Amino acid sequence: MSEPILEVSDLAVAYGANLAVKGVSATVSENEILGIVGPNGAGKTTFLETIAGLLTARRGTIRYRGKRIDHSSVLKRRKLGIVLIPQEGNIFPGMMVKENLEMGGVLMPAKERETQISYVYELFPMLKERARQIANTLSGGERRMLGVGIGIVANAQLFLIDEPSVGLAPKLVTSLLERLKQLKEDTQKPIALCEQNIKVLNVADRILGMEAGESKFCESLDAIDKGKVRELYLGLHA
Amino acid sequence: MVLDGIINGIIMAGIVALPVLGIAVIYGMTGIINFAVGGIGVFSAFLTWYLLPYNMPLAIVAGLVVGFGLGYAIQAALLTPLSAKRGGDLNLFFLITNNIGLIFVGLTRVIFPRPIIGIPLPRLGTINILNVQTSGLKFLALFIAIGALLLLRTVERYTRVGKSWRATSQNLRLARVVGINTSRAFNVASGLGCMLAAFGAIIWGSLYNLTLTSGFDLTFLGYIIAVVGGIGNILGGMLAALIVGMVLSFSAYIVSGSWQSVILYGIAIITLILAPRGILGSERSV
Amino acid sequence: MKKWPVQEVLTLVAIFLFAFLFIKGGGYHKWFTGYVLLYLIQGYVAWFIFSKCGQPFYGYAVTMAIGAFSSIVTAVMFGWPLWAGILLGGLFSALVASTLFVATSRARGFYVGMVSFLLVILFPSLIEALRDITGGRSGLSFRGLKGLIGLDGLLWLVLGFVIVVAGILFWLMRTKVGRIFTIIAENDDLAKAVGINTFKYKLLGYAIGGFISGLGGGLYVNYIGSISSVDIGVLTTIYITFIPIVGGSKVPFGPVIGTLFIRLIPEALADIERYLSIIFGAAFVFVMLGMRGGIGDNVVNYIGRLIDRIRMRRAPETKGG
Repeated sequence: MSEPILEVSDLAVAYGANLAVKGVSATVSENEILGIVGPNGAGKTTFLETIAGLLTARRGTIRYRGKRIDHSSVLKRRKLGIVLIPQEGNIFPGMMVKENLEMGGVLMPAKERETQISYVYELFPMLKERARQIANTLSGGERRMLGVGIGIVANAQLFLIDEPSVGLAPKLVTSLLERLKQLKEDTQKPIALCEQNIKVLNVADRILGMEAGESKFCESLDAIDKGKVRELYLGLHA
Repeated sequence: MVLDGIINGIIMAGIVALPVLGIAVIYGMTGIINFAVGGIGVFSAFLTWYLLPYNMPLAIVAGLVVGFGLGYAIQAALLTPLSAKRGGDLNLFFLITNNIGLIFVGLTRVIFPRPIIGIPLPRLGTINILNVQTSGLKFLALFIAIGALLLLRTVERYTRVGKSWRATSQNLRLARVVGINTSRAFNVASGLGCMLAAFGAIIWGSLYNLTLTSGFDLTFLGYIIAVVGGIGNILGGMLAALIVGMVLSFSAYIVSGSWQSVILYGIAIITLILAPRGILGSERSV
Repeated sequence: MKKWPVQEVLTLVAIFLFAFLFIKGGGYHKWFTGYVLLYLIQGYVAWFIFSKCGQPFYGYAVTMAIGAFSSIVTAVMFGWPLWAGILLGGLFSALVASTLFVATSRARGFYVGMVSFLLVILFPSLIEALRDITGGRSGLSFRGLKGLIGLDGLLWLVLGFVIVVAGILFWLMRTKVGRIFTIIAENDDLAKAVGINTFKYKLLGYAIGGFISGLGGGLYVNYIGSISSVDIGVLTTIYITFIPIVGGSKVPFGPVIGTLFIRLIPEALADIERYLSIIFGAAFVFVMLGMRGGIGDNVVNYIGRLIDRIRMRRAPETKGG
C-alpha cells in the first residue's frame, strides 16, 4: 500500500474525568479499509469522533496527509474531506432520500454532486428506487446505506463510519460490508470503520483492536492471528 | 355579516401572521424558544416611529434592518454558544430570552420619548371586497404576509440554502459534518425572525397602537399560534393564524375585548394540552 | 444530607428576628416588611415547586391572584367571612395548579412551563372579562383582615404564617417524601425506572405549592386592601420565579435573599426606576448564565471552602479520609 493518509499518534480523549481513549495510535493508507474492532465501551466511537473533530483530544496528534488537524474545526476537517457517518442520527429524517444525498454535497458544484449521487445509486440501487421517499420511513438497513451514501456524495477523502452493521440482519450486513469494499476499490479512498461484527474481517485490510480505551494491536490483516481477534470479541482476552 | 367576519378574519390573520412566521422560523431552525422576538420587534417598530417624520420608507427599512441586526447579534453572541453548551434546557432559554425581552422593554422606555405610540402609515384608502369595506393598509398587510409565507416556503423547499436550513433543524450534528455552517444558519434565522416580528409590530402599530408590553403580547401570541399550528411548520402556523384571525374577528361581534383574549389563550392552552405537536404536526422533534 | 437542621432553624430564627425588629421599628419599614414577607411566601412556593420538585411551573402569579381574588370577591360580593374566603382561595389555587399539571402531564418538557405562563398572561384578561364580580380594571377594595385585627395584628399573622410555611416545607424536604421529590427533580426518568410513582408525587407538589400560594395571595389582598387586573401579571410571575434562582435553591435561606433582592432593589433604585427593567433583565440573565445556584448557594459554598482551608491548615497530619 502507499503512505498513510491518516496518522493518529498516542491519542487520549477524556469525558470529564474519565479517559475513554488512552493513548491509541493507528494509521490508514490509501485504498485501505481500517477495521476498528473491540467490545462495547472500548472507546471506538470516541476515537472516531475525535478524528472527525466532534471531540477534542486531551493528548496526542492527528495528522491528515502529513498535516496536523488536531485544532481544526469540524467544518475545516470536512472541507479537507474527512466525513463521519455516525451510528445514529446519520440522516435528515424529514427530507427525501434524494434531498438527503443533495445535502451531502452541499458544498460542491452541482455537476460533481450529480456524479457522486449517480454513483451512490449504482452502489445502492434500493436508494434509487426510493429516491423520493422521506428518509425516516426507510428501514434500518436502508437508512444505514443512506448514511453512507451521504458520505459518498460528500466526496469524502476519508470515510469514518461508526458501526454500520448494528441492527441489520446478517444478510444485509454482508451486503453492506461488501459494498463498502466495493466503494474502497472504486474510489481508492480510505475507510476507517468501527465494527463489532466479525464479518468486518472479510473486508478490512488493517485491524485496530481496542479494549477499554487502549489499543491492543494495529496491523494489517494478514499479519494478525484471527483467533486473537475472535478472542477479543468474545471478551476472553485478559 | 358573516362575510364581513370572514374577510376581517382573514385580514386579522394576515396581520398576526408576521410575527408568527418569525417565531416559527426561529424555533423551527434552531430549536431555541426565543421569547425576546417580540421585544426586539417592538423596539424596532418604535425606532421606525421615531424616524418616520424624517423619511418614511427609510424609517421602515431602518426598523427592519435593526430588527434583523439585533436578532442576529443576540443569537450569535449569546444564544448559539449557549445552546452548544446547554442545548436541551428549554426552560433555561425560556427564562433567559424572556429577560432579554424585558431588557428591550426597558430600553424602549428609556430611549424613546413616549411609551405608547401609533405609527401613522398612509391608510391607502379603502378597498371594497365583496361589499366589505376595509382599509387598504390592512389589505397590504395581508398581502405582505402571504407573500412572505410563500417566499419563505419556496426558499425552504426548493433552494439549496433553504434545504440546508431544514437539514440543520432536523439533524444538527450531521449538518455540521456535511459542511453546513450551522452557526450562521442559526444567526440568520434569528435575524430573520426578529425582522418579521418588527414588520408585524410596525403594521400592528399603524392599525392599533404599540405599548411597552406589546412585545410580550406579540411574542406570546406568536408562540401560541406557532405551537397550535405545529411549531416550525410554516403552513401550520399560517393555518393557525387563520383560525385565530377568525376567532378574533367573530368573537368581536359576540363578546367584549377581554373575552377575546381569554378565548384565544384558552384555545392555545387546550391545543397544547390535547395536541402538543399542533394541528399539522411538526418536523422538529420536540 | 446534614444531620442537624442548623441552616433551616437559623433561617427561621433570622426571619423572625429581623421581621420583629422592623415591625417594632414602625413606620414605612414596618409596612414594607409585611410586603416583603408576603412575597417571601410566594418565594418559598417557587423554591418548593421549581427548585425542589424540579417542575417547570411559572404560574405563581396566577395561584397568588386566585387566592387574592377569592378572598376579596367572596367578602365584598357575597359577604363571606374572611377566613373562609382565604381558605377557599388556597383550595382553588391548589385545584388549578393540580389540574394544570394533570392536563399537561402527557406532554413532555417545556409545554408544561409554556401553559403555565400562558395562564399568567390569560389571567388579567379573565379578570377583566369577569368584571362584574371582580371589578375588572378598577378592581375591588375592602378593609378585610386589616380592618378586623389591625395592621399590627395582620403583620404578626403574616409573619407567623411565613415561619410556619417555611418550617413545614423544610421539614417536608427532610422526610421520605422530600427525598422522593429530590430524586424526581434530579432525574425524572430514573425515578420512574426505580418504581416511583412520579405522577402522584408531582401532583402532591403542585397541590401543596398551589395551596400555600393561594393562602398567601389571600393574605396579600387583605394586607394591601385592594386588587385589580393590572396588579398581577407577567412581571410579577417573572419576579417570583426568580426568587429561588437568584437567591439560591439549595440553601433554606435562599428565598429570603431572593425576595429581598427583587423587592429591595426597586425600592433603592426608585429614582432611576426607568432603568429598572433593563437592570433586572440583565441581572437575571447574568445570574442564569454565570451564577448557577444563585447568591445563597454560592455564598455557602465559598464559606464552606474557606472553613475547609482553615481546617486543613490547623491539622495537616489528620488529612485524608
